[in-house]
Amino acid sequence: MLVDAPYYIPGSLAEPAPSNPQDPQASGPAYGQRVAALALRGGSLAVFIGVLVFFSVTAPFFLTIGNVGNVLGQSAIAGVLAIGLTIVVIGGGSNVVTGGIDLSLAANMGLSAAVYATLVQAGYGDPVAVIAALGTGLAIGAVNAAAITLAGIVPLLATLAVMNVVAGLELVLTNNTVVPASTELLLALSASGPFGIPVLAYVLLGFTLLVAAVVQFTPLGLRLYAVGEFPEAARAAGLPVKSFVAGSFLASGLCGGFAGILSVSFLSGSTTGAGDMLLPVVVTALLGSVFSRRLVPTITGTLLSTLFVGFLINGFQLLNISSTLVSGVQGLLILLVVSATTLLRRQENV
Amino acid sequence: MSARQLSVSIPTVARSIGRHALIAALAAVFVLFAWLAPAFLSGANLLSVLVNNFALLAIVAIAMTFAVSAGGIDLSVGTAIDFASFAFVSLVLAGQPIPIAALGGLVGGVVVGLFNAVLIAGIGISPFLATLGTLFVGRSVQQLLTNGGNPVYLPPTGVPDAFRFLGHGTIVGIPVPLVVAALVVAGAWLVLSRTRFGRVVLASGIQASVVRYSGIALRRYTAATYILVSGIAAIVGLILTSTVTVYIPSSGNAFLLNAIGATFIGTTLSPHGRPNIPGTVLGVLLLSIVANGLLLSGLNFYWQQVGTGLLIFSVLAIGFANRKAAART
Repeated sequence: MLVDAPYYIPGSLAEPAPSNPQDPQASGPAYGQRVAALALRGGSLAVFIGVLVFFSVTAPFFLTIGNVGNVLGQSAIAGVLAIGLTIVVIGGGSNVVTGGIDLSLAANMGLSAAVYATLVQAGYGDPVAVIAALGTGLAIGAVNAAAITLAGIVPLLATLAVMNVVAGLELVLTNNTVVPASTELLLALSASGPFGIPVLAYVLLGFTLLVAAVVQFTPLGLRLYAVGEFPEAARAAGLPVKSFVAGSFLASGLCGGFAGILSVSFLSGSTTGAGDMLLPVVVTALLGSVFSRRLVPTITGTLLSTLFVGFLINGFQLLNISSTLVSGVQGLLILLVVSATTLLRRQENV
Repeated sequence: MSARQLSVSIPTVARSIGRHALIAALAAVFVLFAWLAPAFLSGANLLSVLVNNFALLAIVAIAMTFAVSAGGIDLSVGTAIDFASFAFVSLVLAGQPIPIAALGGLVGGVVVGLFNAVLIAGIGISPFLATLGTLFVGRSVQQLLTNGGNPVYLPPTGVPDAFRFLGHGTIVGIPVPLVVAALVVAGAWLVLSRTRFGRVVLASGIQASVVRYSGIALRRYTAATYILVSGIAAIVGLILTSTVTVYIPSSGNAFLLNAIGATFIGTTLSPHGRPNIPGTVLGVLLLSIVANGLLLSGLNFYWQQVGTGLLIFSVLAIGFANRKAAART
């Protein structure tokens, strides 16, 4: 049931390319491509480690437990969102325009956070607020799922429209102001845990482990991959394709709600501007596939790419390099990674 | 027999409703706002809708329509707008004459398109990812150029009148942005429907492999498409800068989602769900009227965003549900 197994050669990579005189690279043998794919994956891991080593040498504070824990904690919100997006990408296929994407995730987080903070302000306790925030996320996921599986709207557009509605609802609810909130749960989440590492860091690791266990190691996860990679074959094999796609959007909606709770705790309230998280989260989730053996989106790959971005931002801050460079580095990274991936499996994309 | 006729006629009726969902929505919002806000129907307001809401978004959406017609998408139209704006402002500040500066602005925008063309046509990256990467790199480049994202202001005095012409001038009484938008729409329609380039672009969006097997050098056309997209977007950069006499880094992205929305709303007008120029223009008109009408109707500003989103959602839902029904029959 191991989806990301090294010995497993997917059809898309292993299949000999049709001989195409215009593209000499396309007709490379499967073995060569597999080696190249491994090289790319190894290369990106090497870059990751190289960056860590560079920062450790140049910024002495970088490799302390406290700093690493901080990076993990600060990455928790983006990580949970990126994991939600990864589930959608796995279930919808990696063609971003017609396949799986959820543009409403960042707005979802904003609205869920606003719901949580508003309920706390209104005097409700943690249980009610948590259920309401998760319910908000789930409801948004349900709207996405219905629009995509029932009305048949392309995910890119359906979630774009839902994003607008949700962002508007957040503004209506908060009047575009900061809603402070402080409860026992929020304090516990934003406190420091064992070894002086923020609790949020443990939350991120635990959440990743849980989702990765389901997606990478259960029959359910394997079927989700099957639905995403080849819907026709999955349907022929008797899988309820629509239910899986709908389920992936429900799951990502829940992730949005969960990230909302985390953000209320991290920022001591709900703040505006959640929408700015969208594109960085999309890039993070798409970058994640380079940390997997078959260059497919995986939960652990997404965690690595989230941490990579987190360490970059942190290292730049420690070295006093303008953090505005981070978006440029992210952009260049995704272009590099995608170019390499594309050159590897050219016959698919042409 | 009658049951059979019924089963045929219901989808047909539904389809014709779906096909015309966009026009019905336009008519509905028009009547609704004329009723809710009497000021809506005044000539001055309708002109302001066209100049302030419609013109710039229409140009960006036309650019987007080219990319979507070719089977891709361009998330970096905002980056092209920004680069054009930055180059324009910098050249004006450097004392260059306005025509040269405007030309420089266009070149600045086209640089973004060249970058996309290399990524998409040269390397073969999917347009979504390539232009997303360009968007991020572009944002960083702008922050580096502007010392961390500071706006570049033009001094209120000393700016030549010619500079303000693009944004504030009129040609035979019609505001320049509107004239430019009309020219871009007409030009785009001519190119897409009357030229070889347009036919190849449309065909590559429907079935790229057929185009390639027909012996057409598709890559050149793809490259030209993305350069054209950024060139059209660059025009918006020039008009925008001329209107507000300031360059604000990464401000062009504000158009992105509406341009995508308008283009895909427009696809509901086509029987095959293809992007088309008239559909895009009507889509932009719908978004502009809704934005203006909601403003006039005195609705809470934040509810306006919800209303706009719900409306787009409904048009898309009707359009796509209808297309699905059409595919089934």
